[in-house]
Amino acid sequence: MEKKTVLTKIGIPRAMSYYNNFLFYYGFFKSLGVEVVLSDKTTTATINEGTKYVVSDTCFPIKVYAGHVINLLNKGCDVIFVPSIQSTGYKVNNCSKIRGLPEIIRNIINRPFIMIEPTLDKTENIGLYDFCKNTACQLGITDTKEIKKAMDAGWEMYNSFMEMTKSGISYNEALNNALNGKFVKKSVDIVKPLSVVIMAHGYNLFDERISLNLIKKLEKMGVKVYTSLNISREQQQEALKKLGEIQYWANELELTGCAAHYLLNKKVDGIIALSAFGCGPDSLMVDEISHHCKEKGMPLIHLTIDEHTGEAGFITRIEAFVDMLMRKKRNTLIQNAKPKAKADIINIKKEKILTGSAK
Amino acid sequence: METEQKLAEKEIKIRAKDRIIAWPRMGRIDIPLKALVQSLGAKVVIPPANSNEALELGVRNSIEGICLPYKLNLANYMMALDKGANTLMMFQAPGSCRLGNYTKMAQKTLKQMGYKFDMVIFDMYKSKMVQTLQAFWHVTHCLNPYCYYKGFSLGFNKLFAIDTAERLLFYTRPRELNKGDAEKCYHKWLKIADETNSVRKAKRLKKQVIEDFKKIPIDKDKKVPKVYLIGEFFVLLDPYTNQNIEKELGEMGVEVQRQIMFSDWLEHVLKPSIFYKKESHRERCVKYAKKYMKRAIGGECIETIGDTVYAAKHGIDGIIHISPFSCMPEIVAQNILPKVSKNENIPVLSLVLDEQTGKAGYITRIEAFIDLIKRRQQKYAI
Repeated sequence: MEKKTVLTKIGIPRAMSYYNNFLFYYGFFKSLGVEVVLSDKTTTATINEGTKYVVSDTCFPIKVYAGHVINLLNKGCDVIFVPSIQSTGYKVNNCSKIRGLPEIIRNIINRPFIMIEPTLDKTENIGLYDFCKNTACQLGITDTKEIKKAMDAGWEMYNSFMEMTKSGISYNEALNNALNGKFVKKSVDIVKPLSVVIMAHGYNLFDERISLNLIKKLEKMGVKVYTSLNISREQQQEALKKLGEIQYWANELELTGCAAHYLLNKKVDGIIALSAFGCGPDSLMVDEISHHCKEKGMPLIHLTIDEHTGEAGFITRIEAFVDMLMRKKRNTLIQNAKPKAKADIINIKKEKILTGSAK
Repeated sequence: METEQKLAEKEIKIRAKDRIIAWPRMGRIDIPLKALVQSLGAKVVIPPANSNEALELGVRNSIEGICLPYKLNLANYMMALDKGANTLMMFQAPGSCRLGNYTKMAQKTLKQMGYKFDMVIFDMYKSKMVQTLQAFWHVTHCLNPYCYYKGFSLGFNKLFAIDTAERLLFYTRPRELNKGDAEKCYHKWLKIADETNSVRKAKRLKKQVIEDFKKIPIDKDKKVPKVYLIGEFFVLLDPYTNQNIEKELGEMGVEVQRQIMFSDWLEHVLKPSIFYKKESHRERCVKYAKKYMKRAIGGECIETIGDTVYAAKHGIDGIIHISPFSCMPEIVAQNILPKVSKNENIPVLSLVLDEQTGKAGYITRIEAFIDLIKRRQQKYAI
C-alpha cells in the first residue's frame, strides 16, 4: 500500500482563532513534528489585499483573514490551516462567518493550495479529539498515540500561557514567554487611578493594527486595562449566569462574560466595547451588556472599527471617555468622604488623581 | 432557572379563556395558523401587513445593528399588542443565526416599554412535533383530540392550497393574455382559503385552485426566461420587504421559481425524519452544494448554493439572490456565489435589502439583469 506523504510545514494566518488558540496549535503541531509558519503582522497592505477578494458586506476580521492567507501564499507556504469552529457546546454556535471560514477561503482564492480544514462541532458530537485527529489525518499522520501526545503538549503550552496572562502579564509578553518555554508570574499588581475593562474578541483587541493599539494608548493615559485573558473561562461563565443571561454564541464569553465579571465585582470604573463594523453577534452582546450597565450605573463606550477608522477620531473618543471617568470618580470620592475631613481629602485625592490624568 | 421561570409565569398569569394570540407576519402564514389556533378555541389578532409605518416603528425601538426581519417582527408585536393581544407566538431555531436571539430581545424590549404579555416559543431545532403540540396545549389548554386533528388538517390543507396557488401564479403571470387575471385569481383563492371552515372543503381546495388557474387564457408558446429566486427565508416570503419582486418580474415577462416554500419547510421541520420518505429540499441542496461547501453553516446559506447549482443543471436562465443587510449566512453565500456562477455558467444578481432601499434603483438593476439573460438566450439560440 502506498503511504500518504506527510506534510511537514503548515501556515497559520495571524488572524481570527490565532489570537486565542495559537499556543494550542503551536504545541500540537510542534509535537507532531510539523513546522509552523506564521503570516506577517497585520498592516494596511494586508487589509487592502484582503479587501480585494471578499464582497464588500463581509465584516472586517474576515477581510483581514483573507489578507493573511494571501500573505502566506506569497511567502511560498501552500498548506494552510483554516479551522471551522462550529460550536463549543451543545447548541452554543458560532457566527456563520467563522463557521464557514474554510468555505469562504476555498471559494474566493483562485490559487492552488492545500487547506487543512478540521471541524469542531459539539452540537453534533464532534469534539476536540476529533478536531485534532482530523487535522493530523489531513496532514498525513494517523498514529493515535502521537496525536494524543500532541494534544497534551498543546494543552500544556496553552495553559501556561493562560496562567501567565491571568497573573496580569500582557498578551505579547506572555506569548513570547510561552514560545520560549519560560514561565513568569507577576506577583505585584500595579495600582492605577483608573481601570477599565475592554470587552472585545481576541482577534480584534490583540491585533495591534485592527484595534489601533488601544491597550497601549489607554495605558499611556494612566488607565489599568483588564481583558478577557485576565480571568478564567469558569469565572466568566459564572458571572454571566449571575447576571441572568444565557450564553448563546460560542465566542460570547470574551465579551459578555468578561464584562459581567467586572461589572459584578465593581473592580473597574468603566467598560469599553470594541467591535468590528457589521458584526452581527457583537451588536447583540453589546446591547445586552449596556442594558445591565444602565441599571448599575456603569459607564460604557462602544467603539466600532472598520478599515477606514481614522486614528485621530478614535483617540479623541477614548480621551473624552477617560476624562469623563476621571470626573465621575472624583465626584463620588468627594461625596463619600466624611464632611469633617472633606476639605483635606479633596486636596489629597485631587492631586493623586490628576497626576495620572490623560493630560 | 426553573424557579425564575415559574415566578415570571405567576407575574403574568393569563387564563386560557382570555388568551388573545398574535404572531409576527411572514408571507401567508397567517391564514393557516389562524385556522389552526381558532379551531383549538382561542382568539386571534392579526397585525396589519408590513408597511413603512410598521418599519418605522420597528426601527425606532430596536438596536442599530440588528437585521431587518427583527425590526419588522417587533413592529408586528407592538401593533398586535396595541390591538389587544396578550399572548405572542414565535418560533426559533438556536444555532442558525441571530434568529435564535429574536425572542429574548423582543421580550426584553417589550417589557421595558410596559407591555404585559406572555410569550410562547416554538423551538424548531430538528424535528420537534411533540414540543410544538405542547406549546399549542400551553396556549389553548385544549384537550379534545378532534380539535387538534381539525386544526392541523385545516392548517396544512390551506397551506398547501396557498402554495399551489402561488406556484401557479408564478407560471401564469408572464404568460397571461389579459394582464391582471392571474393576480385576481390568486387573491380570490386567498380569500376563499381564509374563509373555509371545514376539513372536507379544505381538502378540496388544492384541486379547485388548479382547475381555476387552468381557465385563465395564456399564451403557451411564449418564450419566457426562467429565473430562480433564492436567498434569506423571511425576505423571500414577505412581499413588503422584497418590494414585491415576484410581481415586478412577472410583469416583465419572466417566470419566477422559488424553491423555498413555506409548506415544504414546515413539513420538513415538523415531521419526524422516519416518516419523511422523499428527498427533502435541504438534502438535495446539501448534495448539489458539495463541490463548494462541505458543511452547513446555519441560516439558508447551503440552500442558496445548492439551489444555484441545481438551477444551472436544470435549464434555468438566471438567479436572483436577495438578503437583508448584514445577514451573516447570506454574506458567506455572497462570497461563494461568484465562483459558482463562473463554474456553472449561470448569471447571478445579488441584491441586499434594508430599510432605505429605493425602489427605482432596485428595479433598474433587475431590468438590466433580465436584459442580460435575454441576450444570453439569443446568443445561445444562434
